[in-house]
Amino acid sequence: MFYLKFIFYSGDDTVYLIGLHLFLSVESASIMTIELKNVCFKYPQSPESTVINIKSWAVNQYERIFLHGPSGCGKSTLLNLLSGILRPSSGEILVLSKRLDLMTNRQLDRFRANHIGYIFQQFNLVPYLNAIDNIRLANQFSKKARGSLLQENIVNLLSTLGIEDSDYCKPTEQLSIGQQQRTAIARAMINEPEILIADEPTSSLDKMNRDVFMSELHQMVSETKTTLIFVSHDLSLSDGFDRIDPLSDINS
Amino acid sequence: MFFKLATKSLSSRRGSVLLTVIAMSVSVYALLGVDHIRSQTKDSFHSTVSGIDLIVGARTGSLNLLLYSVFRIGNPTNNIDWHTYKSIISDPKVGWAIPIALGDSHQGYRVVGTSRDYFEHFSFGNKQKLEFAQGNSFKRVFDVVLGSEVAKKLNYTIGKKIILAHGLGKTSFSLHDDNPFTVVGILRPTGTPVDQSLQVSLEGIEAIHFNSPGSMENSSLENPSTQLLYEPEKITAFMLGLNSRLATFSVQRSINDSPLEPLTAILPGVALSELWQMMGILENTLRLISGLILVAALLGLTAMMLASVRERQREIYLLRVIGAPPVFLFLLIQLEALLVSVASILIGGAGLTLSLNAANDFLSYNYGLHIDALIFSEGSIHYALLVISATALAAAIPALAVYQSAKAK
Repeated sequence: MFYLKFIFYSGDDTVYLIGLHLFLSVESASIMTIELKNVCFKYPQSPESTVINIKSWAVNQYERIFLHGPSGCGKSTLLNLLSGILRPSSGEILVLSKRLDLMTNRQLDRFRANHIGYIFQQFNLVPYLNAIDNIRLANQFSKKARGSLLQENIVNLLSTLGIEDSDYCKPTEQLSIGQQQRTAIARAMINEPEILIADEPTSSLDKMNRDVFMSELHQMVSETKTTLIFVSHDLSLSDGFDRIDPLSDINS
Repeated sequence: MFFKLATKSLSSRRGSVLLTVIAMSVSVYALLGVDHIRSQTKDSFHSTVSGIDLIVGARTGSLNLLLYSVFRIGNPTNNIDWHTYKSIISDPKVGWAIPIALGDSHQGYRVVGTSRDYFEHFSFGNKQKLEFAQGNSFKRVFDVVLGSEVAKKLNYTIGKKIILAHGLGKTSFSLHDDNPFTVVGILRPTGTPVDQSLQVSLEGIEAIHFNSPGSMENSSLENPSTQLLYEPEKITAFMLGLNSRLATFSVQRSINDSPLEPLTAILPGVALSELWQMMGILENTLRLISGLILVAALLGLTAMMLASVRERQREIYLLRVIGAPPVFLFLLIQLEALLVSVASILIGGAGLTLSLNAANDFLSYNYGLHIDALIFSEGSIHYALLVISATALAAAIPALAVYQSAKAK
């Protein structure tokens, strides 16, 4: 199957045809959720050093990827590119068949709210809001606002993740780190995103909390059929993932 | 949720927020206070005299004459001879005249010696005449008519016998205690210095200075022999109503050029506007100072918000990641600043209302100023809006800083 794409440039009163693309696409067996082509990223402050240079990298639908690499190799930058917080210096980023590099800032913000859940190493929650309000806030920016059902959804999510009722209404800064990270899963999943990105989410947890977190995460992802990108330097967490990608292999 | 985020964020930093609110409240207090007192003073002064064409006193500055004759502030420079008064009011252009003799007091309230024309012709506010709440005008030498405030504060009723003191002040040692006066009338409240004064006849004033025997107590003012006996030698000032207002300037000139003694005749309206011109400088200075206090408070707010923006980098990043557009963060900072500002306006306004209530008695007693404690006027709403828009402007600095850092990520 192939199709044509016309690119127009509209001037003051004339419309110029400045490009004509011919695409030839082959239906692949599995649907791509994420696709990177010749993506290059340099910080504007230091244009001489290329932080990200990825020829080609793709993630299939429902796949669980364990991205592995030491700190400082561009992991966070890659995740920022995938979630549209940063824009590539060049190249194409397709997420859910949408070109992130072509979107406006406003579209990117919306896209992120609707389709991508994100969990950080720490500071996943607004510290002075309670768990429920944090999750409500995350829902606020998504078009999947659920009105009266929202409260029920939030409570369900939190209880699934093993947060006690009595902790729902405490400011999250009073919760333990383990509770905070599990609440972060709920916060990331409330809008039922297609993709969940987790950036070293367990590195500030002890062994017990880490195991609880990992099992909750896997369970949540398989129940909701979410594509998972998990970044860590700790290979011992890689059980249950479909693929382990060392970042050094994809980023040249 | 947006609102909740802002309020919770403020309450999580309540220490610095509280200090900022206090600083802002003080500035709102000063700003609204200056404006309110200014406009109320003006109203109060303007409503004190009306329908009087000329005020005449011994040669002095027009402001001084206005202040002591009408507002009972300050002291007269000199007296006017009774015969001079008689000859001036014999001019056919003069419709009526109210003589005034000041200098005595009762419990710190001033005593005004006058004639019965006072109750007939003196008017205040929007040409309102004096009215009696109880009793009526003095008929005998030792009768006294009380201002409403005097009657209320001292708890006097009709028939009460009182003693006047020479000079002003509550604790005069020179009491005219052999000549008690009887309360025969109490005036309705006027909101002018009349409320704070006791009105007696000129003959009564003269009689107590005469040190006359008590037998004169019941002498009627209608009796020509009594009137002659107590005919006053001097009065402090007098007010004139002319038959035609067109004659005002010619009468004024002839009084100012009077060969009998050096006199000053003023038009109360003109003197009042002179007073406002002088007050204008003071007013503007006060306004400038309160404006500067507001600027300082707003700078404090800006500094507090900027510091918080630095503290909140991670929070800002988090909000960005969950999909908050930069505009949301800009508005969040603006809303926080606005909440601080609205809280300050409410606190400052409430504080002002309370202190005006507390100061009301003091001001009316000492200065004859009647300040309404209700500060909701068009002017105060303008100032509130000014404070809010100035806040929005000041908060634009930290809000733009957040906006920029949100965009950069």
